[in-house]
Amino acid sequence: MSSDHADDIRNFCIIAHIDHGKSTLADRLLQATNTVDARDMVEQVLDSMDLERERGITIKAQAVRMSYTAADGQVYQLNLIDTPGHVDFSYEVSRSLAACEGALLIVDATQGIQAQTLANVYLAMGHDLEIIPVVNKIDLDIAEPERVSLEVQQAFGFNADEVHMVSAKSGQGIDELLQSIVDRVPSPKGESDSPLRALIFDSKYDPYKGVVAYVRVLDGEVSSRGKIRVMSADKESEILEVGYFQPGPTKSTSLKRGEVGYVATGLKSVGDAPVGDTLTMAARPASEPLTGYETLKPMVFAGLYPADGEEYLALREALEKLQLNDAALTFTPESSLALGTGFRCGFLGLLHMDIVQERLEREYDVDLLATSPSVAYNILLTDGSEIEIESPAKLPQPQRIEDYREPWLDLSIITPAAYIGPIMELVQTRRGIFNKMEYLQYGNSIVGAGDGGDARVLLEYEVPLAEVLMDFYDQLKAKTSGYASMDYSFSGYRSGDLVKLDILVAGEPVDALSIMIHRSEAARQGRALVDKLKELIPRQMFEVPIQAAIGNRIIARENIRALRKNVLAKCYGGDVSRKRKLLEKQAEGKKRMKRVGTVEIPQEAFLSILKVER
Amino acid sequence: MFSAPSIALYIHIPFCETKCPYCDFNTYSQIEPLMPGYVVALIREIELWGDLLNHPTVRTVFFGGGTPSYLPSQDISQIMQSANRSFKIETEAEVTLESNPGDFTSDKLTTYLESGINRLSIGVQTFDDQLLGVLGRRHTAQDAVDAYRMAQDAGFDNISIDLMYGLPDQTLEGWKSTLKKALELQPPHISMYCLTLEEGTPFEAWVRLGKMSDPNPDLAADMYEATQDTMRDAGYRHYEISNWALEGLESRHNLIYWRTEPYIGVGPGAHSYLGDTRFANLKQPREYISRLTNAADGKFDLDNVNLDDLKMIIDIVPVVDTTEHIDRRLAMAETLMMGLRLDDGISIPDFNARFNQTPNEAYESIIADLTNLGLLKTSNDRLFLTPRGRILGNEVFSRFFE
Repeated sequence: MSSDHADDIRNFCIIAHIDHGKSTLADRLLQATNTVDARDMVEQVLDSMDLERERGITIKAQAVRMSYTAADGQVYQLNLIDTPGHVDFSYEVSRSLAACEGALLIVDATQGIQAQTLANVYLAMGHDLEIIPVVNKIDLDIAEPERVSLEVQQAFGFNADEVHMVSAKSGQGIDELLQSIVDRVPSPKGESDSPLRALIFDSKYDPYKGVVAYVRVLDGEVSSRGKIRVMSADKESEILEVGYFQPGPTKSTSLKRGEVGYVATGLKSVGDAPVGDTLTMAARPASEPLTGYETLKPMVFAGLYPADGEEYLALREALEKLQLNDAALTFTPESSLALGTGFRCGFLGLLHMDIVQERLEREYDVDLLATSPSVAYNILLTDGSEIEIESPAKLPQPQRIEDYREPWLDLSIITPAAYIGPIMELVQTRRGIFNKMEYLQYGNSIVGAGDGGDARVLLEYEVPLAEVLMDFYDQLKAKTSGYASMDYSFSGYRSGDLVKLDILVAGEPVDALSIMIHRSEAARQGRALVDKLKELIPRQMFEVPIQAAIGNRIIARENIRALRKNVLAKCYGGDVSRKRKLLEKQAEGKKRMKRVGTVEIPQEAFLSILKVER
Repeated sequence: MFSAPSIALYIHIPFCETKCPYCDFNTYSQIEPLMPGYVVALIREIELWGDLLNHPTVRTVFFGGGTPSYLPSQDISQIMQSANRSFKIETEAEVTLESNPGDFTSDKLTTYLESGINRLSIGVQTFDDQLLGVLGRRHTAQDAVDAYRMAQDAGFDNISIDLMYGLPDQTLEGWKSTLKKALELQPPHISMYCLTLEEGTPFEAWVRLGKMSDPNPDLAADMYEATQDTMRDAGYRHYEISNWALEGLESRHNLIYWRTEPYIGVGPGAHSYLGDTRFANLKQPREYISRLTNAADGKFDLDNVNLDDLKMIIDIVPVVDTTEHIDRRLAMAETLMMGLRLDDGISIPDFNARFNQTPNEAYESIIADLTNLGLLKTSNDRLFLTPRGRILGNEVFSRFFE
């Protein structure tokens, strides 16, 4: 037998919907195990980025080691692996789950199961994790712990005595929960004597230590000396440091089978040690990497431009630095008539895009202009080849295109039954296909059915990603008074009756305003764009037609009437300087305008149209 | 001695009985007690300039404001006497005084005539009593007619009236009716200004806050076009963008501005243009009075001043606040900005004589552009705006400041 003590280790994560109390519960566990002193307690210890604390979400996974003395007097090593709480990061979630043997499923006693929770529980079950259900916030007046417990039992097949009733806020039920973790979560498996195989479930870039990989050791052992190899990325480097978090980084001589911790690699970019990849020792490498590694593929694209054209290089530098820490972010230079030079950036989803933008502005102090997001299209050409198009401006001539394909999602929504109608309507206007509807039942009765439309329903659809990108989530929340929750996963590319909608100003197409759109939506959207532009473009010295067109066919048109009068009435009292300054200002304003043919358009007009949402 | 050519003299009177809510000129109400001290200070500034420039010839004098007619006419008379002591005012000089219709009495008008005032500019603004109320004017349409007749009876034959169009809720018909009433007086000169919402004025705030309707620029364009037709039929020359006159009765004073010729402005906030320098006096009347009164008890020691040096001359004047050097490039653009306001535009040989370059040499592509757009025309050695160019003047002028 080896010298490790994997039998005394419990690795677990927490599955919860936003605001259901994951971070508070984690804080309470750290406190109860004396990992953190009560007086050192900063709320939400694990969410270290300002952004995370403000938004109450976890963007990057973390791992913290606790020591817990169980009822049998034995000291256990508990490793809590914090998981990202958003669908954009579902791959990172899946890797965090793969690093655990158990999961706490937290459900808010005032709200019940949400769509995203459901999806993550199924994901955890797929990884064979032992799931410990926890109904949280039972101290609140409006809590319905019994009802929510029933919902959890029914949805996932638990017995009533398996469900923990907890108030993370007051600490009620925490000790019982810790004991349950020891009792129910299995100890790690794996081979102590085999070559090292450690799963990277997160990695971040540190300017002094290079890429710090957060790992779970499956087989063997990683010591603080020697050369490490990243198997799929095929990179090698000298180990700089090995350790674990408690919750601050604590150096150690090695990480053994079943342990969770970090390896400082000195590598230059997180892309060199990506999430999901396997670490092994270069001197005695494993023959096969762990399964489940995927290269992340951005799904959502937007142009990011510096507000001040001079800042182009600063933006590039900021993106490069950000990418060191964010392997999912892609960017390629792009230039637009309206916005100058910038980058076409790829993101995992809308939240990811939001976060990148905010970090660029906050941490790198770059003022950004962002276009509204779009998806990547897969275009089948007449010669049989396929290309990926991330920007409508790059679309080939229509006669070269055999088929347009766009990404589709499997979408699930959990909602009180009263809102089924409005949701059906919403999804229908977004080209959604209805798959199934299921009441969340308890025994033979419907949960909450007693009080009218309170019964909760799971709805499943297929829907194009492009339709969800717009304002789908806001609409869903608006139509259900905030009660519905949603989750989705990418299901593949499908042919669509898509067209490229061009906007012409005085007969000239404006590249930045071209969009890809479903044929049935083109007329409405074309009209909306034309109307908006009419409002935004100042009158010129001649009449300016604004048109929306599909190919050569004009589908909407408006005219901006010619400017008739623009002259200073009075030049009086010899104050020539003041009049001159007014004209200089007008000339200066014109300099900042973008020219489309002979038409001058203020940049602000472009911006507000690029941000226009349906 | 800095050789001051013959110049124009602008005299600022910063007093108004009430301040109109659209006006952003440097003028004040409720400071009447300053009037006597102000006249003393103003006279000191006039005499200082007379000494500094060695009593140059003055072709035109213009009392502007503010409301010069609100000042006691004896004060105007004293100011004119000092101007005559300080400058060689030509016998044929045009001497204008701006006035408010309600201020005239026949005694006052007689004093003006005796002082040498030979032209009145009357701020009528509109012949619509309701709009006069909106404009915050303190006279009625009938007051304006009476004032005009009174001035004629007193012996003034060169009278200009000021009108405004593009007023809140003013209709095309309403404007035409004002214009008709103005023409019934057969004034030799009419200035017609489109209302501009100036920043910081109550009008601008009222429109911004939605308490007053936003002037409609297309309607203002209609009014302007109707005005051009009516005035042409009535025999007036549209000699400047906002000014019409019977032949030979154009405002000679304002022509000096439009032709970027030299002028001296006295009084708070007044602007001057001499040589390659434009400069402006400080704006506060109180400060203006105190600086001129305190400075060596009004005696200026000019013995050590090099009167060949314009900069030194300006430094002596205790109320000059800002000076601006107008270099050749700026002077060319300003000459075009001002000169193109006139119906006969710019004389290309004169421009060439002054700048050693024709407008076309200096702004070849811009002038070609504007000509193609139908805004500018060259003919008989003159460069001038087309009718379309006039109403879109800023689109032309701003191009010279790119």
